[in-house]
Amino acid sequence: MDFYISEKTEALRKEIAEFARKELPEDWYYPGGLYDFSRDWDFVMEIAKKLGQRGWIASSWPKEYGGCGASIPEDFVIHDEMQYWGIPGTTMGAGGSGWIGQSILAFGTEEQKRKYLPPIAAGEPDGVWCTAYSEPDSGTDLPSLKTEAVRVGDEYIVNGEKTWITAAHRARWCWCLVRTNIDPTIPKHRGLTLLIIDMKSQGISIQPIVDVVGNSELSQVFFHDVHVPVANRVGEENRGWYYVAQALNFERSGIGIGKNVAFIRRFFEKIVSFAKETKYRGEPLSKNPIVRNKLAKLEIEIEIARTYCYKTAWLLEAQGQVPLVDAAIAKVLVSEILVRVAITGMEILGQYAQLRKDSKWAKLNGIAQHFYLQSYAIKVGGGTNEIERDVIARVGMGLPRSRR
Amino acid sequence: MDFGFTEEQEMLRMECRKFLERECPTSLVRKMEKDERGYPIQLWRKMADLAWMGLMIPKEYGGSGRSFQDMTILLEEMGQVLLPGPFFSTVILGVLPILAAGTDEQKQEFLPQVAKGELILTLALTEPNASYEVAAIRTSAVRNNGEFLINGTKLFVPNAHIADHILCVTRTSDGPTPQEGITIFAVKASSPGLVVNMLDTMADDKQCEVVFDNVKVPMGSVIGQLNQGWEVVEKVLAEISVGQCALMLGGAQRVLEMTAEYAKKRVQFSQPIGAFQATAHRTADQMIDVDVSKHLVYQAAYRISEGLSCSREASIAKAWVNEAYQRVCLEAHQTHGALGYTADYGLGLYTRRANAWKFSFGDTDFHLEVVARERGL
Repeated sequence: MDFYISEKTEALRKEIAEFARKELPEDWYYPGGLYDFSRDWDFVMEIAKKLGQRGWIASSWPKEYGGCGASIPEDFVIHDEMQYWGIPGTTMGAGGSGWIGQSILAFGTEEQKRKYLPPIAAGEPDGVWCTAYSEPDSGTDLPSLKTEAVRVGDEYIVNGEKTWITAAHRARWCWCLVRTNIDPTIPKHRGLTLLIIDMKSQGISIQPIVDVVGNSELSQVFFHDVHVPVANRVGEENRGWYYVAQALNFERSGIGIGKNVAFIRRFFEKIVSFAKETKYRGEPLSKNPIVRNKLAKLEIEIEIARTYCYKTAWLLEAQGQVPLVDAAIAKVLVSEILVRVAITGMEILGQYAQLRKDSKWAKLNGIAQHFYLQSYAIKVGGGTNEIERDVIARVGMGLPRSRR
Repeated sequence: MDFGFTEEQEMLRMECRKFLERECPTSLVRKMEKDERGYPIQLWRKMADLAWMGLMIPKEYGGSGRSFQDMTILLEEMGQVLLPGPFFSTVILGVLPILAAGTDEQKQEFLPQVAKGELILTLALTEPNASYEVAAIRTSAVRNNGEFLINGTKLFVPNAHIADHILCVTRTSDGPTPQEGITIFAVKASSPGLVVNMLDTMADDKQCEVVFDNVKVPMGSVIGQLNQGWEVVEKVLAEISVGQCALMLGGAQRVLEMTAEYAKKRVQFSQPIGAFQATAHRTADQMIDVDVSKHLVYQAAYRISEGLSCSREASIAKAWVNEAYQRVCLEAHQTHGALGYTADYGLGLYTRRANAWKFSFGDTDFHLEVVARERGL
């Protein structure tokens, strides 16, 4: 048990902070969550390119694919610091640098690694990804998905509909789980295949979904006779479920969930500053026992969230993968802590919490309400917390599956 | 960065676990709750033979000189089986202040005997005002002809009834702030005027009232500096809290395992109740609580072992574990139904301790306030 990170890595944090101060406008709006995809995309990609030049997007990847061969904990520290400042362009869409890159490294072909990884690491438009698993009728019951890929010669023809696809409107590539075996007698999850689909293909149409905050980071994506070369298949046909299970583990690990944790660190500091500067009943809020109690609880939750990010990064480094149960615990913890941080933050701001960014009297640039409205999405995304708890109970403690 | 334990630490854990499985069944725990001394001498001797008492004591005083981290491994295992006896009060409550502030002479006087299992110690801190704050220390020690006279009452002193020496935190003068004027004395339990009464507590954990009525102590029994004792107490309290958390963590782990076992065995509607999501999800929450507790305790123990500032991390651990151990026990009761409610079943042994120790060495609000202060609020 040793929690020391190298001085070299800590020095990198300073460099990243400098970059943020220099490159981001002074009133940079950063309410947490993904958020990049509603921004000025040219600016985002401009920053992404600069990050790529510095090797900050995918530092732990092997050098031949655009990385620097750093350790995964170091990679995590870099992302943690970038996300702390809200630097855009770090995620390369939804999953590019978070779980798709890791997955391609784990089970892609050499050709796929050479083709897809370098643009991600370099921060180029061709390195932007979206992840397509869910469908209108297939969320938690993902194996029931219906988007079909029929093999014809050296291509798959894909037809169907995916939903809740973050960054679809920005992505060059789509990491897509499809059905290749419609035989009703085989278990549904054994008929799925993982394909990389070029978003420039003919037959793809994207319909934005507007969320509670008013952004459209999510879309519905329709595939109509889309041609996908067989070379774009990741791994073996009909084994897609197992690769996606791994990809989901990456998604739930430090690199995947870490951006949220970095944000709540920063948000917490802003709330603390607010509490120190704001008077209530003649003294700063920060002297009020109830406020102190709440903020101390938040401090502990954030410490926990951070610990799990480091832990899953260490597990990835030490074992090449994040064990299912650890990933599940990390995901449940971080997602639920996010919501509590958001709620407490709003409680400290009181009636000011409801003001949006451009309103007169808005505090903290209006991020409290924005963050809150985004915070609970993670409890259902990337595997609902109900599923995660099922995994923890069954795989972690050996409890039986219910008979259906 | 490394979230794993060394091979040596894993071996210590395994050795401890095997020994305690053999030597400390639940029947012994129950028996000792009703026993006046509270622990079997034979078991104590065997633990001394394994060099456990001296684990953290430096080699020059007869110990093994191992780290606080290693000690928390032992404590965790002991917490799993609810080991009865004065190990924690002697080795943590008694030894840590002596290690932190004792003279070489005092260390020679106490530590080798502790290592051999021949001395029992404890710490008298809390007073009837039941506060954790330094201002609450009113037990006085007044200088009188080259000696001190101690007067006052201490509560919740573990194992005072069998201790050879009681480390007593007193007020020797009234400084401008309450932190000044605190002195720690190592008092012989046999001193005239010192009266110990056993308290009847929920956890049957041998907590005592100790009344000091003009108890004479020599100058040489001051541990650390006169009037400068609070700094030592504060430092040691952080370490004590983490040690207590290790015991609690072990207990919570065992309760989690008991619950999972029960959920797999108990059948209703033709399936194990663990198959029902409500039960499964409670078990998942218990596992999360225990897992988080582990990380917070290990992080704090790491910092203590490395000599890094640890007040923040120790309070984070205690604030969390206080609540987590309680939650784990409550969820366990829910899963066990009426059976868990019986004295026979054994879950209650843990529940009673979880809720008592929630208040030892700082309750949750106390530790949250430390965290708030450390954050600069």
